[in-house]
Amino acid sequence: MVTVVFGFLLLPVVIVVLTSFTTQSFPAIPQEGVSLTWYAELLADQKLLDALTVSLIVATASAVLSAIVGTIAAVGFVRGEFPYKEQISTAMLLPIIISPVITGIALVRYFSTVGLSSGYPALVLGHTVLSLPYVFLLVRSELLTFDQDLERASRILGADPVTTFRHVTGPIISPAILAGGFIAFVVSFGEFTATQFLISPDTSTVPVVIYTMLRTGLTPTINALSVVLIVVMLLLALSSRQLSSS
Amino acid sequence: MSVQRSGLNGLTHLIGDRLEGRVSNRHLAGFGVGFVGLFFIVPIALLVPESLHLGSATPFESYRRVTNGIYVNAFVRSFLYGALTTVVTLALAYLLSYFLVFSSDRVRLGMTLIVVPLWIAYIVRYFGILLFLSPAGPFADLTGIEPELLFTTPAVIIGLANVYLPFAVLPIYNSLNAIDGALIDASRVLGADKWRTLGKVVFPLSLPGLVAAGLIVFILAAGSFLGPAVLGGPKQTMIANVIAQSFLENFNIQFASALAVVYTVLLVGLLLVFNTVFDLQEVLGNI
Repeated sequence: MVTVVFGFLLLPVVIVVLTSFTTQSFPAIPQEGVSLTWYAELLADQKLLDALTVSLIVATASAVLSAIVGTIAAVGFVRGEFPYKEQISTAMLLPIIISPVITGIALVRYFSTVGLSSGYPALVLGHTVLSLPYVFLLVRSELLTFDQDLERASRILGADPVTTFRHVTGPIISPAILAGGFIAFVVSFGEFTATQFLISPDTSTVPVVIYTMLRTGLTPTINALSVVLIVVMLLLALSSRQLSSS
Repeated sequence: MSVQRSGLNGLTHLIGDRLEGRVSNRHLAGFGVGFVGLFFIVPIALLVPESLHLGSATPFESYRRVTNGIYVNAFVRSFLYGALTTVVTLALAYLLSYFLVFSSDRVRLGMTLIVVPLWIAYIVRYFGILLFLSPAGPFADLTGIEPELLFTTPAVIIGLANVYLPFAVLPIYNSLNAIDGALIDASRVLGADKWRTLGKVVFPLSLPGLVAAGLIVFILAAGSFLGPAVLGGPKQTMIANVIAQSFLENFNIQFASALAVVYTVLLVGLLLVFNTVFDLQEVLGNI
């Protein structure tokens, strides 16, 4: 029974990977041998490579931005004392609660009103907002289990707040910040629903390209592109684990 | 007396000195909320004036259209599919969590397998399910059975449950894992069988995790765009699809905004009702 549930959870991904090596022109389990035809096709398609570049740039930029903003907010909320703190901190979680389709149309309208073009600025800011709650939650829970006497000691010994953060708080919570950044990268790299509104003609991301390909008919190139997406994300997951534990 | 220092140390020190006493933690929290406010809350709030036909004789035109049967159906479907997905997902997640906590000695491996899909894009996972359910897909190839599920309601529920399952396992696992083993032993010693112990001891104690999991799955599933877009047919359109369609295909920003406002109000209303039974702050803290 439990095996069936594990299978249910994992088989869709396994199927996508397996069928990318087919020799047929439809995603099928390779039966007469394995081929890399569809990966070659992928490498020859400039549009797909461009989308991959855009995805990487946007994900990196929004990961850095949301790691910074999320950490600042988490420090403020955990260390600061002010009325209605808990209630106000719920605002940081709103981007998870509101459907991304609503976030998408709201942002694209707003950005065009304030004169910010769609494409990179819109994508980076949009993805930052969407991944911010995860960074905030991670860093917040790290700060809650943190011995505050260390910070007090540093301040009493004469260090200013920024130096205290750089030498005491920062290093201790850095695994959480790093993990948050990686999660933000992955959220951005895989986001489709809000993204479809924020792209411009030359800033399609990989999930948007995959979605368009799904609409126009199934070819194993979609699988090959999906596998590239999976590999990038899993490499990130692995390195985040490695870095966080060291 | 200030000591001259060079490089990064000097720079942080300089910035720190300047900021000392001027920037408090309250400012830092304000910065975070300000960022979310400027790039999220204000844009969402602006959908309200956007949805009104201001200056015209019929400012609520779009809202009147929302009450049209086909749109009401899309709302009902969103909340219904959200609820169905929640039930299915919670059942599967409880089974997995229970197994990991009480009968597995390879918890790390099991947890890794559950968390790995979280690192894989939704679109890829929906695509995998699409392949699985395709009449000419790999499943049909291997077994000779042609599944007839694609573009039906079960296909959408299967997809949503698959994608949100890991989100449900984490809080349930945590609450099951936090149960004091002595309580279970006590129940067994006092003569309760396995099922009675589950019903009277384990299940009530795991309720906070279950509620948190249900809440997050329901919110995510009801607002899903990709699930019905990839796995459903025209009869499975949920509200996110209708909103996207009116915006991208019909360029009707006012109507899309009206739908978005109504959906958000309904969802928040539901959450407030929920809040009268369970404390939302506490539940969110569980996630």
